Amino acid sequence: MHDYVKKALCYSLPTLSLCLAASTLQAGEPSMIKVAFNGDIRSTEPGVNRDENSDAFILHIVEGLVAYREDASVGPMLAKDVTVSDDGLTYTFTLREGVKFQNGKTLTAEDVKWSWQHYLDPKTQWRCLSEFDGRGVAKIVDIQTPGPLKVVFRLDQPNGVFLATMARPDCGASGIVHPDSVAADGSWIKPVGTGPFTLGQWKQGQYVELDRFKDYTPRDEAKPDGMTGNKQAFIDRVRFVVIPDAASAKAALLSGGVDLLPDVTAMDEAELKHVPGLSVQISQVMTLNGLLFQTRDPLLSDVRIRRALALSLDYPQMVNALSNGLSAVNNSVIPTTSPYYDATAHRGYTSNLEEARRLLREAGYKGQPITMIVNKRYPQMFDMGVLSQAMAQMVGINIQLETLEWGTQLERYQSGNYQMMAFSYSPRFDAALSYESVTGNKDKESRKVWENPQAQELLREAQRESDTAKRQALFDQLHNLMLADVPMVMIYNGTNIGAMKSRVEGYRSWPIAKPRLWGVKLADTSK
Amino acid sequence: MFRFILHRLGMAVPTLLLISVMVFALIRFIPGDPALLMLGDMADAQSLAQMRSSLGLDHSVVTQYLIWIKAVLSGDLGFSISSRQAVLPLLLDRFSVSATIVLVAVGLATLIAVPVGLLAAWKQNSPMDLGLVASATLLLSIPSFWLGLLLLYGFGIKLGWLPVVGYVAFADDPFKAVTYLVLPIVTLTLVEFGAIARMARASTIEVLRLEYIAHARAKGLSEGAVLWRHALRNAFAPTWTLVGLILGNLLGGIAVLETVFTLPGVGRLMVDSIFARDYPVLQGCLLLITCIYVLVNLCVDLLYPLFDPRVKL
Repeated sequence: MHDYVKKALCYSLPTLSLCLAASTLQAGEPSMIKVAFNGDIRSTEPGVNRDENSDAFILHIVEGLVAYREDASVGPMLAKDVTVSDDGLTYTFTLREGVKFQNGKTLTAEDVKWSWQHYLDPKTQWRCLSEFDGRGVAKIVDIQTPGPLKVVFRLDQPNGVFLATMARPDCGASGIVHPDSVAADGSWIKPVGTGPFTLGQWKQGQYVELDRFKDYTPRDEAKPDGMTGNKQAFIDRVRFVVIPDAASAKAALLSGGVDLLPDVTAMDEAELKHVPGLSVQISQVMTLNGLLFQTRDPLLSDVRIRRALALSLDYPQMVNALSNGLSAVNNSVIPTTSPYYDATAHRGYTSNLEEARRLLREAGYKGQPITMIVNKRYPQMFDMGVLSQAMAQMVGINIQLETLEWGTQLERYQSGNYQMMAFSYSPRFDAALSYESVTGNKDKESRKVWENPQAQELLREAQRESDTAKRQALFDQLHNLMLADVPMVMIYNGTNIGAMKSRVEGYRSWPIAKPRLWGVKLADTSK
Repeated sequence: MFRFILHRLGMAVPTLLLISVMVFALIRFIPGDPALLMLGDMADAQSLAQMRSSLGLDHSVVTQYLIWIKAVLSGDLGFSISSRQAVLPLLLDRFSVSATIVLVAVGLATLIAVPVGLLAAWKQNSPMDLGLVASATLLLSIPSFWLGLLLLYGFGIKLGWLPVVGYVAFADDPFKAVTYLVLPIVTLTLVEFGAIARMARASTIEVLRLEYIAHARAKGLSEGAVLWRHALRNAFAPTWTLVGLILGNLLGGIAVLETVFTLPGVGRLMVDSIFARDYPVLQGCLLLITCIYVLVNLCVDLLYPLFDPRVKL
């Protein structure tokens, strides 16, 4: 080796080593957890230009008046309590005292009113505007602030899902933001909320960070409860790293590149739970996976053919294969984790091949092809299609799969242009919202699957009703009616599986599936 | 030469205009609605109509094109439908990531593959030649994503020497940036090495059979001088054409590798924009790729005379 090379190495290597040591051993570095996201967030505005990741992210920064609890019921969040008038038209929210915004200001009723006026302004393009401007069940006709901590919402008619809709993650939980979030010209600057984290650095396409809000005002409960309860954060920084490829995300977890994968497949769960230093968390979720029929199709308008198909499926075997044994069969649009999932909702179809063949004979079915749309973006939809095709063949139903790209399938769903479709609905957290997504008049909304006037009337009643027992009775009737009509066959709800480093403490998967990083701690593994 | 460059750039203008029409029309033939993809399965008809209107999708396709091309000609590629970011800075930002990886990897692959190809041609049909050809063919046959995952598993997970996912810009931390780029660059270098080495070998074998090589040897020149001074310069032209094609191809995006290594490059941006039906970004990406092809081919043509004295521009 030449002398000058030796000299260069002698000088540079120790310097490099010192630099490296200094960069890794900085004392008092803030604690950080790295969480994988399968895509970047779209924006930082609650419920506007959003997707699943954007919702999960923003719900760490903003909080609404109410929020979903661990059991998917709705409880107060920024509100201390909520009272509903006897006629169901007035909702009075009493705010918690001394709640701080991330800019140091204290939450008042005027801030709540300002936030809601911002959401209800069509220029904001809030996703959930249609739920509150009269297009949905009821319209907000007035918001009053009779006291600094009192907000009164008046509706034009009773709405049993008012609070449940308010708390929806896709609505950004109707998060209350300070007016500083918006510029003078009305454009969005950044969220200034009351949540346990503030907006950190966002490197688009790479990662987006949350910084702990040191002056966060937690609720009095001892522990977090879903999206409410005590949401104190313990980690200084959360970094959501964008990793679109599932295999790369798994590799990142195994190598320590990330600490937490909030959503892994059942197949990966079987592998990762045996890896030393990793743990998994499983929860049933409220996603609705099933097969949709176009009831206006000349062939499938015959309920006997739809029923024959429903009876040809071996549900336990199918769900076992689809979920790797982690989920149960559910033929109801009410998810198994819903408080409204009772013995009636548990009733479903039982495979009966003889009866299926009889129904097909009676309907005069002679093996005409039925096209079922599937896609490969979401493996469960493709797998449901393949399994149901094979099972239906046992009774002579000729299903042909048409594999489309997800965006194309969604357009066909929206226009009602299909015979059959394997489909997954994103979670609806109230039973009425589940029924609403499938029930309606196809002339008005072609995406609707079930057009039965009796069902529509029952749904309208359930949407207006606030009494839990009365709503339960209505949902039971709807379920029985749906089993008879067979406009669709729900199959199962799926699971949310989180895989994480063992040093991650306090993280839990839950029915709403959104990752929650408050209440989570990182154990000191150096001891 | 100046006239040649002007002529080629002039030719590029109608090409780009034609491509812009084709890109605009073809993208809109793809089934799927960006507004629907943004609103998801809960979208009602009125919300959809509002969203389409706010995205400018309620105009006719011709009007949309005229609005877009007018803006493009003034240097404005519009705003992303999904992230609402300006497309041009977004593209340039993402392109810098892809370009860094591609230029370094193709440069390395060329530097290694050309001497290897030359050596294999010189030792044609020897065990060394067979070994090199077999290695090149093997590397050429391995899909880049699989090789990437193998390297990721070996060096990232098993040995833990290199980070598995992510990206750090040079401006932020040069040392970290290198550690994040090693695996994708090595993967791409190995994959492209095969094609370039085989081309270098084949073209050198052809040249080594020519009379002037025999003449050079007869003059008593050393084998090194024959190979480097006489064979390589003439054999390099086809290899250089291939390198140009590879560059043009890869600079348009290495979507698969960018996805495996979670790099924020232009390829991943394009794939994401296809899934989201983000028309402005997709149009911008395709225009960028077209420009890259035109420029890379121009550069290749301009550099030909350096390697082959017979070529005059």
